[in-house]
Amino acid sequence: MKDDRRTSHPQSTINSGRRRALKQGAVLGAAAIGAPWVMRHAHAADLGAYQQSKINWRQAEGQSITVAVIPASYFQNLISITPEFEALTGIKVRYDKVPPGQIRQKAILDLTSKTGTYATHAADPMYYPLYVSNKWIDPLDRYLNDDKLTDPKWFDYDDIIKGWREADSLNGKPYGMPYDGEVTVQVYRKDLYDVKGLKPADTLEDFVKNAAAINDPGHRIWGCALRGFAGAGQNMYIYPSIFREFGGDWMSGGQVQVNGPKAVEALDWYISVLSKYAPSAVRNWNWPDIADAFSQGTLGVYIDANSSATVLNNPAKSKVIGKIGYARWPKGPSGKRVTSIWNWGFPINGALSEKAKRATWLFITWAASLETQVRTSWKFSGSTKRPGVNRTSLWRNPDFTKVMSKNGYHFVEASLESLEHDTDVDWRPRVPQWPAIGDIMATEIQAALVGQKQAKQALDEAQTRINGVMKKS
Amino acid sequence: MMAQAQVSLAGRERRFALTLFLPAFVVLLITTTFPIVYLIWNSFFRLNLSMPWRSGFAGFGNYVRMAGDARFWHSLELTAIYTVCTVTLQVLLGLGLALLVTRIRKGQALLRVVSILPIVLAPVVVGLFWRTLVLSPDFGVADFATAALGFGHPNWLGDPGLALIAVIAIHTWQWTPFVFMVLLASLASLPPDVYEAARIDRANAWQRFWHITLPLIRPAIVIVVILRMTIALSAFAALFAATGGGPGTATEILNLYAYRMSFNELSLGYGSALAVVLLVITLIVSFLMFSLRRQR
Amino acid sequence: MKRSTIRTVVALAVAMVLLLVWAFPIIWGLITSFKTERDVLAYPPTVVFHPTLSNYWDVLFGATSILPNFTSSIILAGATTVLTMLLAVPAAYALARLALPAKRATGFYVLITQMLPPVGLVIPYYLVFSRIGWLDTYRGLVLIYLTFSLPFAIWLMVSYFEDIPHEMEEAALLDRAGRWRALWHVILPQARGGIAVTLIFVFLNAWNEFLFAVVLGGNTVRPVTVAMFNYISVEQTLWGKLAAAAMIAMLPVILLGLVAQKHIVKGLTVGAVKGGGRR
Repeated sequence: MKDDRRTSHPQSTINSGRRRALKQGAVLGAAAIGAPWVMRHAHAADLGAYQQSKINWRQAEGQSITVAVIPASYFQNLISITPEFEALTGIKVRYDKVPPGQIRQKAILDLTSKTGTYATHAADPMYYPLYVSNKWIDPLDRYLNDDKLTDPKWFDYDDIIKGWREADSLNGKPYGMPYDGEVTVQVYRKDLYDVKGLKPADTLEDFVKNAAAINDPGHRIWGCALRGFAGAGQNMYIYPSIFREFGGDWMSGGQVQVNGPKAVEALDWYISVLSKYAPSAVRNWNWPDIADAFSQGTLGVYIDANSSATVLNNPAKSKVIGKIGYARWPKGPSGKRVTSIWNWGFPINGALSEKAKRATWLFITWAASLETQVRTSWKFSGSTKRPGVNRTSLWRNPDFTKVMSKNGYHFVEASLESLEHDTDVDWRPRVPQWPAIGDIMATEIQAALVGQKQAKQALDEAQTRINGVMKKS
Repeated sequence: MMAQAQVSLAGRERRFALTLFLPAFVVLLITTTFPIVYLIWNSFFRLNLSMPWRSGFAGFGNYVRMAGDARFWHSLELTAIYTVCTVTLQVLLGLGLALLVTRIRKGQALLRVVSILPIVLAPVVVGLFWRTLVLSPDFGVADFATAALGFGHPNWLGDPGLALIAVIAIHTWQWTPFVFMVLLASLASLPPDVYEAARIDRANAWQRFWHITLPLIRPAIVIVVILRMTIALSAFAALFAATGGGPGTATEILNLYAYRMSFNELSLGYGSALAVVLLVITLIVSFLMFSLRRQR
Repeated sequence: MKRSTIRTVVALAVAMVLLLVWAFPIIWGLITSFKTERDVLAYPPTVVFHPTLSNYWDVLFGATSILPNFTSSIILAGATTVLTMLLAVPAAYALARLALPAKRATGFYVLITQMLPPVGLVIPYYLVFSRIGWLDTYRGLVLIYLTFSLPFAIWLMVSYFEDIPHEMEEAALLDRAGRWRALWHVILPQARGGIAVTLIFVFLNAWNEFLFAVVLGGNTVRPVTVAMFNYISVEQTLWGKLAAAAMIAMLPVILLGLVAQKHIVKGLTVGAVKGGGRR
């Protein structure tokens, strides 16, 4: 329900998967000759790559941990190679698949009860301030700096994408370990742009111009789309980028401020571009609806997570395969480009026993390690090679880029540049009250989009409600 | 002697009655009454799952906050509109249809089969069906129909006014068959001889309806209205699936507001207070309707 | 004579239109469930297309199979029905026929419990269950399902018991049969029809419940109503599969509705007269 976006459905991609798997099999076969590790089945997994780490993987042998994840393909990949982890460490892992609409609530419930049911869970980066202010989770630096638990050279924490590390940290301390993530980019119809001589927008102004040039509702093609549906992970996933690009700042004098002039300008821009150049249905569209529309060839451009590429390239549905281009966010009036820093990270539940914490840490480092990232991505034996790998070095790895560049023109370039230059840790207000703030903002933004209220009025009302939340609740 | 035997017989009867009734009564107390008491208790507390350090006794704080909460008043207004519109439409349509169909001898069975369908469907499925298959732009049947008829592409669930109409239509669609069948049954049970008398009196169809039929089926109508009102007041799943209260807050009836407050914002104290208001409204409406029924 | 023929024709025509209005969304769902994703997304909507069974195959046997949820629904609705009937039938009999103390007040109490708004119930249940670890358990959900099924079943049964002629009961009692034997051998067989109707309704209502299940359920207990909702929110919207899942999930209630049609009509009418309801 929230930010979990890339769930390609296993069945719907089965044919494409098979075809892709064949092609990739050939590619991998060629690469394997020179590579030290070859794709293997779980039961005969080569654990050598892990054993190069100078830690004792078996120090928490016999422990049993439960991990909550969402039922998405990128976690499915991890689950299917978990027997390798169990063989490596002697730790038993049980997964609880919780739908994204409920995982935050369930995690909070578990953390408040302090029973430690979930050793770790797929955590929304926006929730760390809340977790930390309640001291529900452990800071991870003590694990990272303990050479019995982490081999710094082997694990190479700094290789993990900086924006995601920062998003999962608070006051300079890491609290969550990014496993998978995404950036928001422009996804556009390269064929249409080429015909009209357009280039992907460099500024928000260009974005509007491009949309105007393409927009032709009479022939069922609309200029652009952005998430319009109300939800912390829906319209409040896109609006924060625009707000920041207009130079907005969530915090003012230690208070969350959402109704300043920049905020109003940003919201007006969002409403205006969608009202003029998007199908009217966009007001209720979340990412799957936008991706569906784009895949049917009815949209010129949209800005959304790079991971929606999987849907756009699904031959069972899509009519635009081979016509897709990607580009970074257009610059806003402030000159900034601001992309999402969305990632699913793993924190450590503070209510666990010391031994269970060690076991959990081993699981987390295993999942976030380069080797596991590779094995769940392009070396994964199933049909979905997840694109959300957590390491800069992997984004530069030719094997990875070769597989990923099939998603369309400049997919890898746009994603990587966004990851390196456009991430912004203050993309959304990082305060413990985020769950309420996200929901309040989402409702008011949609109310403004559909014309229930003026932008200023909607944001003023949001501000009043947020003030109430910050004060009492 | 006699009296004593009677007393012990009455005592036995009473014991037997209690043995049969008590288990259900105790279960009802535990499952419905205690939770409601706990709900009311909670409504006097600050209780936010995500901010446990701020929890504490709030007195009437939640209710004071409600008085100044525009979104609450808006949801109250929507609840009134939603309830009145859906119940009125259901009764008018259901009654009209029942009056029409009661004349048809053949085909009533088929009508009944079809009318059963919406009633047995889960409201959440009904909401999903309407949202995805009927009202969604481009794939929806309604969209296709309006476009074909030259009315363009109204944005059913994206426009605040239309969305409210749409959710009212969905509820009416699902429950009109209920009203229809109940009234059809009560029409069928009316004695034919009163009509004969009326016919001899040369009463026209309208007079017959107004002076004979309507008074006779009034009790059934009143009951139906009571039932439909309590159901409309607690409507949730179809709305949740179709609009989730949106766009914005355009279809956010009190039920949905209490839900969103409690389970999206995790503000359970305030959510409880909202639910208490809903409870009070439901009970008042039921009392009013029942006393209305007794007067007749 | 002539006027009444015209009237009948008009009545038939109106009835037909309304029939269509009621049946159409369901028929359209059925059609969609046989379409490929490409056909679903086609514009304008296609009426002629190549039907596929793959949606059903995937929904039943694929990675996100709905079968476990189906089992969940059966357990939930089944357990709720059994418990409700065990409690409601004797209670209704006592309320309808016996010298229960404070009868009016108790009857009114049962009626009131039926009108409690579900959202008001689910909040305290959520708080208590989270403390005692009953979230995502069958016992927890069955308990809260009793809040709507038990009052409803009692009221429905009361109206059936009231219809049984007093003479039968008196005859049995004169026969020196005990109260229990009279209940078992005389009253209950007489109330068979009512029991069947009540059973069907309790099952239907429990099967269709959504709010309680979405808040208090989870990984272990996830009935079809909730699972279906996840089809649009977790995965990309797969319209064909959503429609197929809806069809499968609703198959039991639709079948029940068609098979037990007469009972249901009776239940609606009796329930209406006596104050039954459903959410």
